[in-house]
Amino acid sequence: MENLLHTVVLMLEGTQVTLEIFFITLLLALPIGLLASLGRISKLRPLSLLMEFYIWIMRGTPLMLQLLFVYFALPMIGVKLPDIAAALLAFTLNYAAYFAEIFRAGIQSIPKGQYEAAKTLGMTYPQTMRRIILPQVIRIVLPPVSNETINLVKDTSLIYILAMNDLLRVARTIVQREFDMTPFVVAAVFYLAMTFVLTWMFKKLEAHYGKYEN
Amino acid sequence: MGNMKTDRDVMLRMTGIRKSFADLEVLRGIDIEVRKGELLAIIGPSGSGKSTLLRCINMLETIDDGSIAIEGEFLAEKGEYVSGDKARRLLGCTGMVFQQFNLFPHMTVMENLLEAPMQVKGMKRQEILPLAKELLAKVGMSDRADYYPSQLSGGQQQRVAIARALAMKPDIMLFDEPTSALDPELTGEVLKTMRELAEEHMTMVVVTHEMAFAREAASKIIFMADGNIVEQGNPDEFFDHPREERTKAFLRNML
Repeated sequence: MENLLHTVVLMLEGTQVTLEIFFITLLLALPIGLLASLGRISKLRPLSLLMEFYIWIMRGTPLMLQLLFVYFALPMIGVKLPDIAAALLAFTLNYAAYFAEIFRAGIQSIPKGQYEAAKTLGMTYPQTMRRIILPQVIRIVLPPVSNETINLVKDTSLIYILAMNDLLRVARTIVQREFDMTPFVVAAVFYLAMTFVLTWMFKKLEAHYGKYEN
Repeated sequence: MGNMKTDRDVMLRMTGIRKSFADLEVLRGIDIEVRKGELLAIIGPSGSGKSTLLRCINMLETIDDGSIAIEGEFLAEKGEYVSGDKARRLLGCTGMVFQQFNLFPHMTVMENLLEAPMQVKGMKRQEILPLAKELLAKVGMSDRADYYPSQLSGGQQQRVAIARALAMKPDIMLFDEPTSALDPELTGEVLKTMRELAEEHMTMVVVTHEMAFAREAASKIIFMADGNIVEQGNPDEFFDHPREERTKAFLRNML
């Protein structure tokens, strides 16, 4: 019993690392993803092509490979980042690419008539995006964003390979030391708890933004 | 002197308007003139270019050649639109009502009306509220101010859309087939609102398939086909004594 308590305490420390990666990635990837999606649909051809290329690279290669690249390959060309920063860089660039595609699809699903109505009322493009288009996009993208966010909780376990003591690595260390599988079960419960809270939050958000219908 | 005075009455003048989509020329040199308080009805078969012509007036489409003057000032000259503040000011003289209403679905009826005056003109909510309420009363929607567009019928949505455009105090109202997306029993309420607007001497350009409305409410009818104006005249003359074969054939099908 005391042993289990000790395990849980250690794993709570690991959870802290997991949550840190999760929250900071989300906080950075959402706005960057939004900007990338606006770039992607921009009429400026070079900008749009650049964003398409970025999204293609990020979605076309494994996140694990991107982590290894930032962690091991960048130092070879003189870019040495602290462990946590390296992990955050890879996670943010990867998730921003996915969010960008979700936002792009959301923005493009808004009927042309909404832009035209705003234009004939004298609204500028930034006003139209901020007041008319994006509030409608939020409602449409909530389900896929919710999906990606839950994925992110689980993907944080990939930093395992970077020798950072996240929830999964702490569990594995204890399992190897004590020959006891309980930490894996505890880890599963922890991940489930985190995704449960997220699912609940997104359900609330969807209800909040779903008060009107199209 | 007399001439200058009547000239000042011209709210909208389009001359030599040409426009192509790829290889298809949809407007082949159109001239129109709308005076203060007039209701110009543009009719014609689909694909005749009438909606495109209307959409060129507020830059939803751009002309390839010709000139557009709004209240005596060029919005476009020889195919080139002005830009910046001048364009914004001239476009602000027009309001538009769409076939598909295009209300903002995430805003209530009242918010739809307040949005542009607050964002574009920088007015305070309290400043615009009296006019917004008055406009909702005018279109008979006062009791629906807190509804979302999805909770309204098509006819109600279109009346709100008219009020939303009026909230920006335009001098010219453009209507792009405002009743075409409505069930027949709902067109009446929208046409009634438009008729009332005409009676208050609002200058209006209306693209429509409603012949009875055009005949009764319009000051002038333009009949377009294949990117040309085939015939124009005052409503009685136009409907009772059409001169062109093309017009006669069209009217036979419509009435």
